[in-house]
Amino acid sequence: MNQNGGMSRRAVLRTSSLVGAGIGAMALTGCTAGGGSAAAGGGGGSAGSLSYDDAIKKVVAGREIKVGFTPPVLSENFTQIEHAAWHKMYEYEQRFGCRWVWERQAPVGDFNAVQGTLGIVQSWVSRKFDAIAVCTGANFATVQALYQDASDKGVKIYQFNQPAELYPPEELRTVTNVGYDNRWQSGYLAGTYIAEKLGGSGNILQIWGPSGSDWTRGRKIGFDKALAENPGIKVVGEADGGYVRDKGFAAAQDLLTKNKDVDAIYGENEEMALGASQAIDQAGLKHWDGEDGILTIGADGLVSGYDQISAGKLTATVDIGGVDQGQNLIEAIFATAVLGETVTQIINNPTQVVDKTNVDWHRAYTKWALDVPKKYGD
Amino acid sequence: MNRASTPSHAAGEALRRRVLADPSIGILSLLAIASIVMSIVEPTFATEGNVTNIVNTMMTVSFLAIGMTVVLIAGGLDLSVGAVMGLCAGVAANLLTQGLSMPVAFAGALAVGAGIGLANGLLITKLGIPDFIATLAMMGIAGGVLLYWTAGVPILGYMNQTYYYIGGLTRIAGPITFPMILVVVIAVAVGLLLGRTRFGMMFYAVGSSPTGALHAGVRVDRVKIAAYVVSGLMAAVAGIHIAGRTTTVPPLIGNGYEITAIAAAVIGGASLTGGKGHVFGALVGALTLTMTRNIINLTGVESSWQAVVTGLVLILAVAANQAWTVLRARSRTKALAKGSAATSPPLASRTSRVHHPSPTPDDGVGSDAPAAERRPETIA
Repeated sequence: MNQNGGMSRRAVLRTSSLVGAGIGAMALTGCTAGGGSAAAGGGGGSAGSLSYDDAIKKVVAGREIKVGFTPPVLSENFTQIEHAAWHKMYEYEQRFGCRWVWERQAPVGDFNAVQGTLGIVQSWVSRKFDAIAVCTGANFATVQALYQDASDKGVKIYQFNQPAELYPPEELRTVTNVGYDNRWQSGYLAGTYIAEKLGGSGNILQIWGPSGSDWTRGRKIGFDKALAENPGIKVVGEADGGYVRDKGFAAAQDLLTKNKDVDAIYGENEEMALGASQAIDQAGLKHWDGEDGILTIGADGLVSGYDQISAGKLTATVDIGGVDQGQNLIEAIFATAVLGETVTQIINNPTQVVDKTNVDWHRAYTKWALDVPKKYGD
Repeated sequence: MNRASTPSHAAGEALRRRVLADPSIGILSLLAIASIVMSIVEPTFATEGNVTNIVNTMMTVSFLAIGMTVVLIAGGLDLSVGAVMGLCAGVAANLLTQGLSMPVAFAGALAVGAGIGLANGLLITKLGIPDFIATLAMMGIAGGVLLYWTAGVPILGYMNQTYYYIGGLTRIAGPITFPMILVVVIAVAVGLLLGRTRFGMMFYAVGSSPTGALHAGVRVDRVKIAAYVVSGLMAAVAGIHIAGRTTTVPPLIGNGYEITAIAAAVIGGASLTGGKGHVFGALVGALTLTMTRNIINLTGVESSWQAVVTGLVLILAVAANQAWTVLRARSRTKALAKGSAATSPPLASRTSRVHHPSPTPDDGVGSDAPAAERRPETIA
């Protein structure tokens, strides 16, 4: 019950942000009162007007909405996003009587297995899906051409968790991009957090994702901005950690061997930051305790990362708003593909640096998302 | 007194010939030069801490490369090792979280690894599916099973004090960790199997010429299946180890390791065409790749260049091995020519050895002798 209560407050916050984003259906959903039984049961505590719900039900007319969801890899992060999406789907199913057909496919391999993504999307386009949600490491121009082709065939494409901010908006061929700004809502936040905790001066190590990744590029822009604003923070070493823990671990070990005087380590994602945390243990060094030790910060907002924050092994992480991304993705799909509304091209979600001071509610929110009332696509 | 006739000189000469016959000498020389240069350029490189880091980091690849070398020697190729490693890591971790004891959990992981290896072998030998295709398919299946099973969420909460030792996170004594000891034990055991047993020599025979081996009475299918079982077992060992090293099993934990394992085995002298390779070489290959990454990290090579540097090292390493082999062959030819001038009848040509196999230990599998008559190039 507490979780539901927390969700209600969160839902109101989320609704406010999306009103600005232009999702009319969502605004109405959030503002209605005294809803029917379905709304009360699935609305996460939000109350829906019976007349509004009935009106939407009439539009929906029990239709089937076929959605394809393709992350670049299957991982904890994308599992959280998907589960959050299921929550919203279940809510709309209960309230508006729509029937969701959900297919999830990820290319076999790693973030670079982009050819697989292209094949998956093409297959869904030929099967006339109502909406296709994509996150991929594929070349921007290549996927935009694919999206244009899909759009020409009447299939709507949505991107999620994609660094769309790095490209000219006029070149985007998607209905919308549900994500966050990697520059200012991730890299910059991490950089300024380090600078603030270290009092504006100190030596840091950076463990980056694979070279050429858009996520890496975006976060680096933001982190560099934070460095420029805090000239006392010096980068004494950096390495490629491949977005995975064992490579992040090995890279951090190498860098810590060379650099004895290190105050903080930035892992561009949480797995690499956790690898760096292990390297600190291996080197017999002290983790940050608020005063001294080595500060470690990552980015993602995973339950496993939150647990390590509580355990004092990871100082902080940037919650990239995975749960909100999943929920808002479905809202955007419903608003555009079902109700025929328009949404803004970029829908950025709230992000925040999570440390011991606020880890509990972030973890509770994410765990709520993972505990789905219904699974789709089985 | 004729010095050449003393037993100690004979033993020394045998050792010298054995060492010089090792194709890994080329890459080892290269590593030695790189180490000297790096020690001057970056003093951190030669510190105990960094050397320990390198050795600990190379463990996972070493296990896989040993298994891959056995498969390559037998004329196969195993693309499934990375995925099998991940799956076995997941099995071990999951069984531990279920409250099962460590031996049972590890036995489960080893059984899965061996079972997949057996399946690979049967698909290849009994159904006639090409090695590349069969193991590629198994890579997809093993990886997919772990993904489906975990739903993309890493397995956590299985670590205990003993597992920290197995993962190499807690040291046994000084810089020595359990995986270091284990890799040496396995390397010696597999080396002995390949180099000192009749069964081991069959791997070379099958890899060099399956038809020849068949005619020589070797049960080719069994040997090939055994090679894949060894590879599956080594992938399981690597999985058990990496689960301890990373303290978590994300579903993509094994991604890309198959290529690294193949690269390590090839750098170490294994041939993609079969019949060549040795365990020591596999370790040298794993060391080369790990050291390259370490040097890249220490020198701060821009990450865009890291893949380029790694690729160049791979080419350089294999070229060094090839160059060493060519130099050795020339020197041997000269020696043979010299010897034959003093004795008769002369060897007409290298190909004549096909009909008159030399009894010398230098007639390794790279020679032109029939597969069944060649001696393997192994350390043990």
